[in-house]
Amino acid sequence: MTTAPDLGPGDYPLSVNRQDLLRTPTGKPLSALTMDAVVAGEITAEDLRISAETLQLQAALAESVHRRQLAQNFRRAAELTAVPDAEVLAMYNALRPRASSREALISIAENLESKYHATVCGALVREAAEVYERRDLLAREED
Amino acid sequence: MTTTEGRRSKRTEILEARPVNLDGFVEEWPEKGLVAMESDFDPTPSVRVEDGRIVELDGRARADFDFMDTFIADHALDVETAEEVNAIPSIEIARMLVDPRATRDEVIAVGRGLTPAKILDVVKLMNVVEIMMAMQKMRARRTPANQAHSTSAKDNPIQVAADAAEGALRGFAELETTLGVVRYAPLVAIALQVGGQVGRGGVLTQCALEEATELELGMRGITAYAETISVYGTESVFVDGDDTPWSKTFLAGAYASRGIKMRFTSGTGSEVQMGNAEGRSMLYLEIRCILMAKGAGVQGLQNGSISCIGVPGAVPGGIRAVAAENLIASWMDLECASGNDQSFSHSSMRRVSRALPQLLPGTDFVCSGYSGVPNADNMFAGSNFDVEDYDDWNTIQRDLQVDGGLRHVREPEILQVREKAARALQAVFAELDLPPITDAEVEAAVYAHGSGDYPDRDVLEDLKGAQAVMDRGVTGLDLVKALERTGFHDVAENLLTVLRQRVSGDLLQTSAILTDDFVPLSAINDANDYGGPGSGYRLEGERWEQLKKLRHVTSAENPETEVS
Repeated sequence: MTTAPDLGPGDYPLSVNRQDLLRTPTGKPLSALTMDAVVAGEITAEDLRISAETLQLQAALAESVHRRQLAQNFRRAAELTAVPDAEVLAMYNALRPRASSREALISIAENLESKYHATVCGALVREAAEVYERRDLLAREED
Repeated sequence: MTTTEGRRSKRTEILEARPVNLDGFVEEWPEKGLVAMESDFDPTPSVRVEDGRIVELDGRARADFDFMDTFIADHALDVETAEEVNAIPSIEIARMLVDPRATRDEVIAVGRGLTPAKILDVVKLMNVVEIMMAMQKMRARRTPANQAHSTSAKDNPIQVAADAAEGALRGFAELETTLGVVRYAPLVAIALQVGGQVGRGGVLTQCALEEATELELGMRGITAYAETISVYGTESVFVDGDDTPWSKTFLAGAYASRGIKMRFTSGTGSEVQMGNAEGRSMLYLEIRCILMAKGAGVQGLQNGSISCIGVPGAVPGGIRAVAAENLIASWMDLECASGNDQSFSHSSMRRVSRALPQLLPGTDFVCSGYSGVPNADNMFAGSNFDVEDYDDWNTIQRDLQVDGGLRHVREPEILQVREKAARALQAVFAELDLPPITDAEVEAAVYAHGSGDYPDRDVLEDLKGAQAVMDRGVTGLDLVKALERTGFHDVAENLLTVLRQRVSGDLLQTSAILTDDFVPLSAINDANDYGGPGSGYRLEGERWEQLKKLRHVTSAENPETEVS
């Protein structure tokens, strides 16, 4: 996909009205996800995931109905599609209060930005580091 | 005459014995936050913007912001409109909420810039009927729905499957389970998913667990959505819950990144119950939770005190505050799963009156949830309504012509789906080499009421099986294959269709559920368009015909017979 199409409320639900825009992360169209394909072993769990592109489409839809924060959540989610499950869980745990030093949080942000091009998520983690420092929520020396 | 010391009247004795007097009531203690929504210790509304940034919020300067203030100022509020909308007199905003001629969009646009104290100032002007009027308009999804708990005191997966099937058939759009023994979770979550899809294709399921485990089951496609992502209104209690607004925001993104619907949970009374309300009223703190959820970009919120309902329930005006918190979640344009959840009162009259502010105007999920099992089997510490109330609920819907999401179903249909759910689970367990389900257990499931009506399971073998599900990495797709291979083609197809929804992300939009035809219904394609009498959702047509049916209705043509 080169540019995101201009979506509005009339395009929702995409699974009904805009199947043409939907692809699995493995590049399959929605219509390929049939029972016959499942039985033939052609469908894996990876085929039942959402793609970054689809999350950007849902972000555009959310924005078209003035849900700015929901759209931003979908943008962060689009970035996180590239991050493996275990790493996502580890990042979440690192963001818990007093779980990480400032340096550890900054290094997670850098990793998100450089390895996954996840700049919106990276900014959230940097912001957390700043607030945690001010509110004494970074890991303590003895922890 | 003079009264005799210690002697009581017969009437007092009768009143003393009434169930309502088993409930707990306390005086307000505003200094400790034990007050519903009217406290001198809540801040006065204020907001100041400098260089595109909020520098003062409800009387506090940015340098003194705690992390809730910081998050709300930087993520929830519209900086561009904040000063302007906060200058509108609260009475004008309260009138907009109630007046059907002010559209939902207009009221939401004003709400985007309001501070927590200003929102409180507005709803304090509203009585409970005005709160209901406003809820009717502000609910995000046009069509109301309901959610059930499907659990078992013995964590018996066959019971969960059968009751999930019955609940889905009766109309619940979502089914939620949790455990007594947490290690049972994989088997019970599988049972819920399979049973739910037998009752009605398109039902969404979830399993309430610790955050990280809940996410893992969701990632595997064994559950369809998540709800128990708790947030709190003070920094200290939030930290006690081992989270921050930033960790929870990250988690919201993580769920969406896997195509999984998710909502946060909060409620009045949680902070005072956890011992640190910082001297604020319950509703003020809940408004901070609602704005935090909005700022995180999560699509919805389960609120209405939930597991702390005894706290607002014990103070004056507490249930009005609970109605107000649901309204504010809807006003902030979030999906609202509106409580009527944990056991609340010994009095049936109180149980019903507590539910009216949600049931009458309709909410996205009137209960979150209604116990789809006997209360003794409810592992969420019971619910305000349970299976024994089904006929009462259906009758109340019919009496008042309101849609509470359920319908009467004739017994033969119920027995049929219960049996099919148990058979389907039996087949899936056999196919996945899990501890066998006997024919005697299937038969028990058809006719059972509670967990005591089922043969006991070999718990140790079940727990080994549950561990095997996790170790072998069983996914929702494996359940589809097992169902298909064992001849449950329609159930397999239903589950595959639910899993396929992830790819489209349609269920991530606000207030999304799936219809019987697997069409996503959300606040986008089913946006609430209430604009006064004759508009919005009306209980009529085919749905109203469904709701006219009860267990015993006398035939008009032949008074000797009953129709049902």
